[in-house]
Amino acid sequence: MPNPSQVDLDPARDYPLAAHRPDLLRTPTGKRIDDLTMQAVLSGEVSPEDLRIAPETLRLQAQIADRVGRPQLAQNFRRAAELTALPDDLVLSIYNALRPRASTKQQLTDIADELERDYSATLCAGLVREAADVYERRDILA
Amino acid sequence: MAKQSRRTEILEQRPVNLDGFVEEWPEVGMVAMDSPYDPKPSVRVEDGVIVEMDGKPRAEFDFLDQFIADHAIDVEATEAAMAIEPVQIARMLVDPGVSRNEVLAVSRGLTPAALLEVVKTMNVVEMMQAVQKMRARRTIANQAHSTSARDNPVQVAAEAAEAALRGFRELETTLGVVRYAPLVAIALQVGALAGKPGVLTQCALEEATELELGMRGITAYAETISVYGTEPVFCDGDDTPWSKAFLASAYASRGIKMRFTSGTGSEVQMGNAEGKSMLYLEIRCILVTKGAGVQGLQNGSISCIGVPGAVPGGIRAVLAENLIASTVDLESASGNDQSFSHSDMRRVARLLPQLLPGTDFVCSGYSAVPNYDNMFAGSNVDAADYDDWNTIQRDLQVDGGLRHVPEAELLAARNRAARALQGVFAQLGLPAITDKEVEAATYAHGSQDLPLRNVLEDLKSAQQVMDRGVTGLDIVKALEGAGFSDMAHTLLAILRQRVSGDLLHTSAILTPELETLSAVNDANDYAGPGTGYRPSGQRWEEMKRLRHVVSAQNPEQEVG
Repeated sequence: MPNPSQVDLDPARDYPLAAHRPDLLRTPTGKRIDDLTMQAVLSGEVSPEDLRIAPETLRLQAQIADRVGRPQLAQNFRRAAELTALPDDLVLSIYNALRPRASTKQQLTDIADELERDYSATLCAGLVREAADVYERRDILA
Repeated sequence: MAKQSRRTEILEQRPVNLDGFVEEWPEVGMVAMDSPYDPKPSVRVEDGVIVEMDGKPRAEFDFLDQFIADHAIDVEATEAAMAIEPVQIARMLVDPGVSRNEVLAVSRGLTPAALLEVVKTMNVVEMMQAVQKMRARRTIANQAHSTSARDNPVQVAAEAAEAALRGFRELETTLGVVRYAPLVAIALQVGALAGKPGVLTQCALEEATELELGMRGITAYAETISVYGTEPVFCDGDDTPWSKAFLASAYASRGIKMRFTSGTGSEVQMGNAEGKSMLYLEIRCILVTKGAGVQGLQNGSISCIGVPGAVPGGIRAVLAENLIASTVDLESASGNDQSFSHSDMRRVARLLPQLLPGTDFVCSGYSAVPNYDNMFAGSNVDAADYDDWNTIQRDLQVDGGLRHVPEAELLAARNRAARALQGVFAQLGLPAITDKEVEAATYAHGSQDLPLRNVLEDLKSAQQVMDRGVTGLDIVKALEGAGFSDMAHTLLAILRQRVSGDLLHTSAILTPELETLSAVNDANDYAGPGTGYRPSGQRWEEMKRLRHVVSAQNPEQEVG
């Protein structure tokens, strides 16, 4: 398999990846899309974890978004790539912490630190820190 | 009482006079798109940061201003774009000789007030011409609601099958009793599969619950992620641009397509429009969506349509919302999804500005059920309007995404949907669906035609679906186990889409052949007469069919 971080994609040739570049796609558990067959599902070899997107894939899609002139969409995909490492309940709890008047500045700073330290989620940490600053200025901290 | 003419009596009885109309009142935001309190466009950049926008210095930015300035507007492009006269940008939008990409190179630098000034120079025909070019996806599509006044899963499944067969590429449901959600979301998914492969489904719920159903693979995409145009109303919605941007990344991190929702009138309705016009505030929502890196937006007033509908020029402003979403390169799911008027003429007039140019989803909720069953409080068009819709498509040779389907095919699909759900419920140990219910759902028009279910039993089992952690894979297995192998395979293919993330791109849909079609590989190439998407070939032949068309050779004989 080519190393996804070194692949140079041409949106016109390579998108949709499932049709044109299945060689680049793996589930977070390392399976190929072709491995996700009905037989594998029925024999219990496929778990819900296999039907998730891998961070490398999101970064490939970010590359495509950038190349068709959608930098914000690309940035969202890169934040998403970081969040693939977080369990569902942690994702939901951070979302809830970002709601207005839900957190103190310290709580948001702690979340940002945790994102960076435990998950290498620097873009998401940046978003949370930015929120903490704006919430303080606009007086919507807890 | 003064004597009234017979003419006045007749006019008084016309349905349009049951609609509500009010005078403009700019101080509270009861004005469509031209308030004396709307800011004037301006921008100033220092060291790569926007330090002034629309007359406000950065220190005074509210959180929407800051989010838009830092995330939505291209700092490199803004000063050049803002130097162009609004009317000149409007001409670029209308002129087929100016490509979509050339417009995007300018629009990426425009502030909210500048975008407002641009559309203020345009009449509705010019706006429609611009939508035709600026829509992101070349091929149009449509979305339906499938809901039930009794949250009856069997009905929702049968209606989903019929809607899929009629041509809708997305289906949305919601609930009367929220706890019913897991059963109805499963029903929507199973029913859609019985109609046509590749229809994506969603269940509109509170944000966190909607995300959970998506993560489990019970739904395929999400849409009810609301944003608002003033800070107090955004906070009343218990969110901020940052919480919503995080939520957007959360969806993408699970490979799930999503769009935001907004619309003119929501801020007035929630009592805090800060004296700005409805459209100015909506443009802020559009740019928050853009800045969050979300691929698309459901707008066009949506559930607040009564508010812009009541003021002068309100429906023009609603079209302007859709146009601006497309102009900043977002997928546009363009409304027409809420009861709007008692007048059939007015319902159609409200619909044409999206139907004629075509949008990514002409309706973001055509009611596939009779409006009494529509749990989004009714749509502008419902199941009783199918034949009218098909006729309008045929009259004008305009593709609204639907087709006439012969009765036998519809009944077969509805029956199969109900039977498949019966099988899935049995496999998953959920309350039984009787043969009588299957039969009733096959021939029903609405929930009144179906036997009552044991609601307490259903709700208990709905909770179990959540507690047991039932996922989309369990539905695949249940379909296979119940003998609906083709549907099981299709659902597995839809779930597999998450691994590739192809559906995360702008305006993505799945075709019935399960291929991804988005603004990346199906970019709108409209460049004037003879170009772009126009129904032809097989699709046009399909659009020619109606319930009653007589043979040219033999007027006694009906064809199709």
